[in-house]
Amino acid sequence: MRKFFFISPIIVFLCIIFIFFYLLIIKNDPSELPSVLINKNAPKFETLSLLSKKKFLYEKEFNNDLKIVNFFASWCVPCSAEHKYIDQLSKEKGIKVIGINYKDDPKKALQWLDNLGNPYSDVAIDSDGDIAINWGVYGIPETFIVNYNNIIQYRLAGPITKKNYDTFYKQIIKNK
Amino acid sequence: MASTLGNSALWLSFLFSVLQFIVSTRNNNTIIIFNRIAVTGLLASTLASFFLLMYCHVTSDFAVINVFQNSHTTKPLLYKISGVWGNHEGSMLLWMLVLSITNYFIFKLYNKNNYIFVSKTLQIQAVIIIGFLLFILITSNPFETMSVVPSNGLGFNPILQDPALAIHPPLLYIGYVGLSAVFSMSIATMNSENDAGTPWYTYMKPFVLAAWTFLTAGIALGSIWAYYELGWGGWWFWDPVENAALMPWLLSTALLHSLITVERKKSLQAWVLLLAILAFLLSVIGTFLVRSGILTSVHTFALDPTRGIYILIFIGLLGSYSLILFALKSKNFLGKNYFSFFSREGSILVNNLIMVIVCGSVFFGTTYPLIVEIFTSNRISVGEPYFNATVIPMIIPAILVMGIGPLLSWGKVDSKKTLKQISPSILLTVIIIIIFFLSYRTYNIPGLVGIGLASWIISNVLVTLFLNIRKESKKNNFTVTSTIKHFNSMIIAHLGVGLLIIGITGSSVWQEEKISRMKVNDEKMISNYNVVFKEINEVAGPNYLALRGSFWIYNQNNKIITVLTPENRIYPITKNTTSEVSIHTNLLRDLYIVLGDGDNDNGWVVRIYYNPLVVWIWIGVLVIVIGGLLALKNNLNILKLRNL
Repeated sequence: MRKFFFISPIIVFLCIIFIFFYLLIIKNDPSELPSVLINKNAPKFETLSLLSKKKFLYEKEFNNDLKIVNFFASWCVPCSAEHKYIDQLSKEKGIKVIGINYKDDPKKALQWLDNLGNPYSDVAIDSDGDIAINWGVYGIPETFIVNYNNIIQYRLAGPITKKNYDTFYKQIIKNK
Repeated sequence: MASTLGNSALWLSFLFSVLQFIVSTRNNNTIIIFNRIAVTGLLASTLASFFLLMYCHVTSDFAVINVFQNSHTTKPLLYKISGVWGNHEGSMLLWMLVLSITNYFIFKLYNKNNYIFVSKTLQIQAVIIIGFLLFILITSNPFETMSVVPSNGLGFNPILQDPALAIHPPLLYIGYVGLSAVFSMSIATMNSENDAGTPWYTYMKPFVLAAWTFLTAGIALGSIWAYYELGWGGWWFWDPVENAALMPWLLSTALLHSLITVERKKSLQAWVLLLAILAFLLSVIGTFLVRSGILTSVHTFALDPTRGIYILIFIGLLGSYSLILFALKSKNFLGKNYFSFFSREGSILVNNLIMVIVCGSVFFGTTYPLIVEIFTSNRISVGEPYFNATVIPMIIPAILVMGIGPLLSWGKVDSKKTLKQISPSILLTVIIIIIFFLSYRTYNIPGLVGIGLASWIISNVLVTLFLNIRKESKKNNFTVTSTIKHFNSMIIAHLGVGLLIIGITGSSVWQEEKISRMKVNDEKMISNYNVVFKEINEVAGPNYLALRGSFWIYNQNNKIITVLTPENRIYPITKNTTSEVSIHTNLLRDLYIVLGDGDNDNGWVVRIYYNPLVVWIWIGVLVIVIGGLLALKNNLNILKLRNL
């Protein structure tokens, strides 16, 4: 009984730490938030296109290719940081990227794309954040992989970085 | 410029903390000079880096990423300053500052008799400081800059623009960091096996008292913020962030009381050493849960796995070391004198066990969603029903014991005498419940139980007070006046708990809520009040625009009591919207109105709450904190008087 009193704290502690490690490292990266939308249809929306100033052609953009959907804004610093990876995926790997411009000033957003380059096939304007709510976005940047059937396959909360780029690209290949 | 200086100061702090570690490993009285250099140097350089970050925020130096992301030129000065710790990096720097101040206070304990104990404590403290400094320097450096200087910042989360929230983190950090000193002292005691017979518990007590008092105040301010700012009508949501502060609080409450037993009877020493370790570990685990994004809560914004991994490794090392040490050394601290459960120390031990079990069940409830996720990959939340079902039944016996505990004597108890002493409180409690029942005709059992418990505590406090005064007047030559003072701080704190129970019971049992769509000139009855929606206007604030509703409140006699003006604000800079609650408070109830979405044609969603007795929660906590501060002052005096 006495021995148990001395040893039990360290045993319980190690179990707890083990569970946390399992969750944090082995199981998943917390930025890969499980989304209720995984394996569900991509939510539809109607809005204007930032590039053409006309109606955003949802049916045309969400066609039978694999595509990634990237929520961004000109005021978002991590978005600027991840932009080169989005660019790389679009221009070098030839993957279709649809941008959704979240709560932004269209003028600034266009200026931003001019400065950093435009990897997007088209950009939907989400001025009041409604699209983001429907897609369950926590904060930007967030990027979704949507397959040929318009089913969401994967969600990355936070920026694409040097570290997670390879895993992310593997996810794209897996769903292609 | 300021950011470069700040960064250098941070590295300087790192060097001083390494020096402190090296110097403290020598058990030599002469080494104190080097330790003085390390400790004061650490304090000075950390102060410098903290104020340099504040300077960057106040002057809106947007080249610093931290300032750019969290500040804006239009922000009021007070919130520019509190913005320093309103974000992850800055709050870690504040944590560091509090650590080095505490470190300085530990150093001040040095004297000829205790230098082994103090330098061992400073050594562990240095390990903790190095751990956190590396965390800041590697993963969360607030002085990182960018080459492009933006013309303005990204503003600030307007929901965080609140005075209660501005001082809430510093108070909590004083609490957590105070527990770090207690942790280090526990390790130092076990490590030296207390050869010198140092009264470690006497040194530990002021730190526990300070930590406990500031944690109490910090948690209460967090609640005040949630109540006034979030606009959900309640003040406690069993959110992971709240639980992270509640768990160390529960353990430090237990620690505080068992330390008294150690001081008086030298029993429970091993238990106290264990509690001291666990209380600090839980503080850091709480930080880990909140910062790593492993748990999602209303409070977390940042998701950063590297930070989580770092903190987890740090906790793992610290915890394994301390708990293995405990497993090996603690048998040296087992008391030989056993005591009966029916005594002062018995009642303290019972309540200690209850506190630990409650803490365990809060921990289980907070992390349960994670465990479920491993097996089912679903994220669930156990939320309020679980916590209410587990915590409340356990707390009720604790409160019953708490009422009677201070009346029991140490060691042996004369049960007849005790029964005589508590009979007035039993009588008083029964009378109050009956009066309450007759005047309100309520059959609400939880409500009656709550009122009963509150009157049980308060009447016992009055009895204790009466007995103390009688005892003092009997012995005019009573010498140790500090004992009486000490008892008074306990009496005040317990009285605060009684008042707190009144507030908690009232606001959770008899709350009324009316959610409806209201157009201008609509009326709504809540409790005995008639609420009339008179008008809605647009108003402009310093950095926001708002829609402001006017609600006239009439009482039963159709007399106007007050006009409540809840607002719906939009901050153009961040495009955030917030709702400003409007509240009318008196000693019996709060009227609480929140204005939601809507328009003139369809009406506005209006939430009206009738929250009885809420103000007693804040009064109760204030009284508890006063009791804690008084006890702290007395204990510091004892240290001085005995020249320890």
